[in-house]
Amino acid sequence: MSRVLVIEDDERIRTSMRLALEDEGYLVDDAGSGEEGVTRFTDRRPDLVLIDIMLPGMDGFETCRSLRRLSTVPVIMVTARSDTHDVVAGLEAGADDYVTKPFVAKELAARIRALLRRSRTDDATSPVLTFGDVEIVPEAGSVRRGGEEVHCTRTEFHLLRELAANAGKVLTREQLLERVWGYDYFGDGRLVDVHVRRLRTKVEADPANPRHILTVRGMGYKLAD
Amino acid sequence: MTATFAIGAFALSTLMAGATYLTARQTFLNERRSAAERQAFVNASLVRNALRVPGTQVSQLLTSVDTIPGSRSVLYDRGAWYATSISVGQDAIPRAERSLGLSGVPAIQIFTLDQTPELVVDVPLPAVRAVYFEVLSLAELESTLRTLAITLAGAALVTTVAGALLGRWASGRALRPLAGISEAAVAIAGGQLQTRVDGGDDADLQALAASFNRMAAHLQARIEREARFTSDVSHELRSPLTTLSASVGVIEAHRHRLPEPADRALTLLDGDLRRFRRMVDDLLEISRFDAGSAELSLDEVDPGELVRRSVGSTMPIDDDGRRLEPEFPVVVGNDVHGLRIRVDKRRIERVVANLVDNATAYGNGVARVTVGAAATRRGAGEPVQEPQPGPGRGGQAVAIRIGVEDHGDGIPPDERERLFERFYRGRHSGRRGSGQGTGLGLSLVAEHVRLHGGEVWVEDGPGGGARFVVELPLSPEPPTRREPEGPT
Repeated sequence: MSRVLVIEDDERIRTSMRLALEDEGYLVDDAGSGEEGVTRFTDRRPDLVLIDIMLPGMDGFETCRSLRRLSTVPVIMVTARSDTHDVVAGLEAGADDYVTKPFVAKELAARIRALLRRSRTDDATSPVLTFGDVEIVPEAGSVRRGGEEVHCTRTEFHLLRELAANAGKVLTREQLLERVWGYDYFGDGRLVDVHVRRLRTKVEADPANPRHILTVRGMGYKLAD
Repeated sequence: MTATFAIGAFALSTLMAGATYLTARQTFLNERRSAAERQAFVNASLVRNALRVPGTQVSQLLTSVDTIPGSRSVLYDRGAWYATSISVGQDAIPRAERSLGLSGVPAIQIFTLDQTPELVVDVPLPAVRAVYFEVLSLAELESTLRTLAITLAGAALVTTVAGALLGRWASGRALRPLAGISEAAVAIAGGQLQTRVDGGDDADLQALAASFNRMAAHLQARIEREARFTSDVSHELRSPLTTLSASVGVIEAHRHRLPEPADRALTLLDGDLRRFRRMVDDLLEISRFDAGSAELSLDEVDPGELVRRSVGSTMPIDDDGRRLEPEFPVVVGNDVHGLRIRVDKRRIERVVANLVDNATAYGNGVARVTVGAAATRRGAGEPVQEPQPGPGRGGQAVAIRIGVEDHGDGIPPDERERLFERFYRGRHSGRRGSGQGTGLGLSLVAEHVRLHGGEVWVEDGPGGGARFVVELPLSPEPPTRREPEGPT
């Protein structure tokens, strides 16, 4: 049974989310603030964390960054708005995905399932992929650059593996959303864009002038050797 | 302004030219006059001395006197007239002057002979009972003055033209800031509330610009405050809505255990909760448009796929998590084949969903949805082409037209424009029983489409119902130019 941590300051929302998620079969822990959330995370080691952006004190972005320093656990940001600023800031803080309030319980459950499925996918049979001085080892779920282990979230790992498996081919944002996030047509392309930016800082020598993860203007992204 | 400068320059230059001419004329004339006078007295005394000597040949004497160029001498001596030139004689001298001379009065006079102005000086020589006349032609002076006049007139003309040009330039320069203010006003009216003007160096204009900017700032603040209020309200509503949605979701999952009345109540609750959510979303969307903060997040997509997916997203999901198929056809014309269009997918999805909802609520359901290419940009009333069979003609297309046709009675022409206004309640309002509309749907459709640089209108459908047409340009010049991050 998967364990989900809900960090949300509004008690009523917290309770309703707990009810809905427990009803979907998850074990739910909750926290009313960012600080409490980080403590609860180290205690319980949940499989997935839901963070509300508007938290008193340490806000959702900061909470997410704190968790990222500890773990590559899948994180879903809960935002009250779908404006560019909040979504992009949340993703840049390290979130894997986001949902907008008010969400339908079914939708949220679907996002959680997709993320958990991804983090459990068994890649033992996939071959090792390399480009430049980067090595992707699906078996270990790890990425090495020049022999050094690179810390990637599961989503970053899957995105990189998807690009590397199709090296030289252009993948559209829609294809990446579908294959990495499990979204259908109306996924948010910003998910891909921000994750690509994050990946570049990890595997590119000069993230501002990428040599491997290339943007193909108006089309998508492509991995070059 | 130009005319004022021209008239001013004309008046001034004419005045100056006139004064110059008159002064020059007077000066030249005085000069000639005193020269002629001096010459006349010198010559007269020469003649007098010569006449005192008896036996002097008068005609010879006359040729020997000095004359300045253009002057001739006439002598009256004891009843006889002598002259140095055959062109002058006693007739050359006006009668009045002649009699003045003869009666012993020295005089000077200008008169015209054969249309040539002449200056005549008479010097009576009573000692020898003769009168000496010096006749000086002023033709040369006249021609000099004429040249001067022409030159001055030319100068005046040039000055007038230069004045006009200067006026034009100066007025353009003076009015340029006003043109700027006018442009700014148009921009503000068009929704660019952050527009301000620069008053430049002119103190008067600075004051005007400052007032204008103050007004624009107040207007912006006010509109933003109102938009923020709407936005805050819808944000505040989101928290209870989240709790409601999650809780209803839980009850929904246990629906089979509910007694019949509770089950029906849940259906009502769920339906209106959806409607409420839509309303809050719509309000938030509207407030973004009002605040001018609506942004396009463009992606390049296949138009047919876009519409098919958008229609699909309006369909309910069954218990197994699968979307139901729509009961109406989505007809994608072959002319759309191979075309790509840059749109904000989320917004177009909302547009299609709203039109489908509208047709369901007020048009007895959707008859069909069409997607076609258009070779020319809109004309409302111009019928949408039937989706073309045959090979794709994507090359000539400039826009994509999405048509949503319903089974209703059509929309009367006088309601067609107003239908896209917020909370417009036409003859449909009576049927607002199905709990579908928010009154904002069609106005949002219009806003989303406008943001893409496209147009939406309603016309008669082929089956007597209404057809809502959305036209999206293939190469959009959207009012909001902001591009999303990558892939760009």
